[in-house]
Amino acid sequence: MNTLESKLSLVGLTKSYASSIPPAVDRLDMDVEDGHLVALLGPSGCGKTTTLRMVAGLLDPSAGRIMVDGQNITNTPVHKRGMGMVFQSYALFPHMNVAENVSFGLQMRKRPKQDQERLVQQALEMVQLDHLAKRRTKALSGGQQQRIALARALVVEPTLLLLDEPLSNLDAKLRETMRTEIRQIQQRTGATTLFVTHDQDEALDMADRIAVMNGGLIEQFGSPRDIYERPRTRFVANFIGRANLIQASIDAEGEDQGEGLVQYQISVADHGRFLAVGEPGMAGTTRHVLVRPHRLRAGPSGSDAEGLRGSVESTSYTGDSISYRVRVGEDLFTAEMLTAGQDQLRVGDEAAVSWKASDALVLPEEVS
Amino acid sequence: MSTTQAISTREASGRAKPTGTQERRTARRNRLTSGGLLVPALIGLTISFIVPMLWMIRMAFNEGAGSGVVIETFTLQTILDPLTDSYYWWVIWNTFSMGVISATLCIIVSYPIALFLTRTMSRWKGILIAIALAPLLTSDVVRTYGWMVILSNDGILNTALMNLGIISSPLQLANNMSGVIIGLVQIFMPYAILAMISGFGRLSPQLEEAASSLGANRFTTFLRITLPLSLPGILTAFLLVFVLSISTFVTPRLLGGGVVQVLATSIYDQTTELLNWPFAAALAVILLILFGTVVGLYQALTKKLEGE
Repeated sequence: MNTLESKLSLVGLTKSYASSIPPAVDRLDMDVEDGHLVALLGPSGCGKTTTLRMVAGLLDPSAGRIMVDGQNITNTPVHKRGMGMVFQSYALFPHMNVAENVSFGLQMRKRPKQDQERLVQQALEMVQLDHLAKRRTKALSGGQQQRIALARALVVEPTLLLLDEPLSNLDAKLRETMRTEIRQIQQRTGATTLFVTHDQDEALDMADRIAVMNGGLIEQFGSPRDIYERPRTRFVANFIGRANLIQASIDAEGEDQGEGLVQYQISVADHGRFLAVGEPGMAGTTRHVLVRPHRLRAGPSGSDAEGLRGSVESTSYTGDSISYRVRVGEDLFTAEMLTAGQDQLRVGDEAAVSWKASDALVLPEEVS
Repeated sequence: MSTTQAISTREASGRAKPTGTQERRTARRNRLTSGGLLVPALIGLTISFIVPMLWMIRMAFNEGAGSGVVIETFTLQTILDPLTDSYYWWVIWNTFSMGVISATLCIIVSYPIALFLTRTMSRWKGILIAIALAPLLTSDVVRTYGWMVILSNDGILNTALMNLGIISSPLQLANNMSGVIIGLVQIFMPYAILAMISGFGRLSPQLEEAASSLGANRFTTFLRITLPLSLPGILTAFLLVFVLSISTFVTPRLLGGGVVQVLATSIYDQTTELLNWPFAAALAVILLILFGTVVGLYQALTKKLEGE
């Protein structure tokens, strides 16, 4: 962890409200590279908003440090942190017009009048709302208010841009457009951004790095691809995308598969031996094995069929693909396959689910 | 409702029935129902408010000869009499300044309480609001007597201060305007708090957080965000306390010790002691004009605040 190179470093950041309840944020460590957009992703109550508010200075941490550009700002008051924050409710000042809202931060920095006007104009052009400068904020639509809030936060050239669920108050269609727009503006301005969301699609689509949070802890911090394809814990595997998880004992380590993965022989109780891949060094333990639904195959369970045997409990047909829910013992597996060229299974049919070795990932998290 | 009904009937019947008629009929029925509900209140208001008010205004155009003699006539003289008398200008000025000063002080002391009660996340919030409003449970006569006990020359406050050696002779706190204002401020605080709480709708902690994240310190945040957004509540509270102050009789009479003359006490004297009802009515009309002016001013100001 090199705090000199990263834009933002959180070191052992903790927030606890009372000793009787577990801390809202628990000894959190994170490094954010300059220019990156990092999503704090997790279910409600996971501590993501608490973390963001501590970085903003709106909440005092119970322990730990917040470093920006190598400077410890843990005790710097909020108005001296120079961060730009966009609130879930946008928090536009209702008694000021659009231009006055955007120039507020510049006024606080005592920038000369001409500078203020020019920068406000530029910021409004950036969000394509310069024609609304004299408008009252309550006369604006949700998407417009959102863009004004973004312009107001960015016009001061903040050290960090902090977004607290900025898209959650927009309707689904607008959310998609604003996603792209926020990402483009963020990349154009190069503002290092912390983005709180509970929407995994949003995080995968927009972020350079995702921190998946759960119970005040970061479960995994990595690129969207990493998080999706190489989840480290059950929670991450389940939270990002859909997952079939199989508990198996990991028998023998096989040959190197590249990208830091080795092949494993695994055995699933009552079902025999299969192949999977995973990080080296897990032989002789019990782990969860992840197979994404679109990587799982379901076929008729003949005498020569490989895989876990069970019966089809339900099917759902969506045109391009068909998904089978197959019960194997107590577990329910979902296999999603293209409809073309398949022997269709019916509800109640005996079926076997199987996978290619490279499509099954042994999760590093130990099974408790 | 009526629109969707009209549309569905048209689709169902398939006939080109003029839906407008039906819509108009439904709308008319709705208007009649809501109008009908207002009738009891309108009758009550007419009997208890409008008729006495018109009767009082009519009385102001009669001539009073004192001792209960009312000469039925139609003259402006009774209203012009106090307006040409410098004594009554002094009384009007007393009334007006008492209202402005007590409303201003009342807002200054109530504002922090109202702000706190609006924001607190405490689970005692409901109880705290109830405590703030609890003084309303005792009548203002009782509270005025309470203040007399505290403020008079040999009252609790003066005795305590003299025993502590802070002052050598008692402070003149009762039987003058300062006593009246102290009493009025305390008596009307619950109203001011209530009016402000209901007027703080646009105030949200997020706006203050947004301002501070943009570089405003606490003082600037208060000046640029909190205060402007609480102005509607402040204005309503000011109007309420002003109107209540200039119309109250008990506190100026009792805590004023007969020295403080305001329109309310003058009206009382004219009505019950000098028995000059036309003159009392004329003073009441002047008080009414004072009300009207301030209410008009308030409406113009709120319109400007909202129109911003």
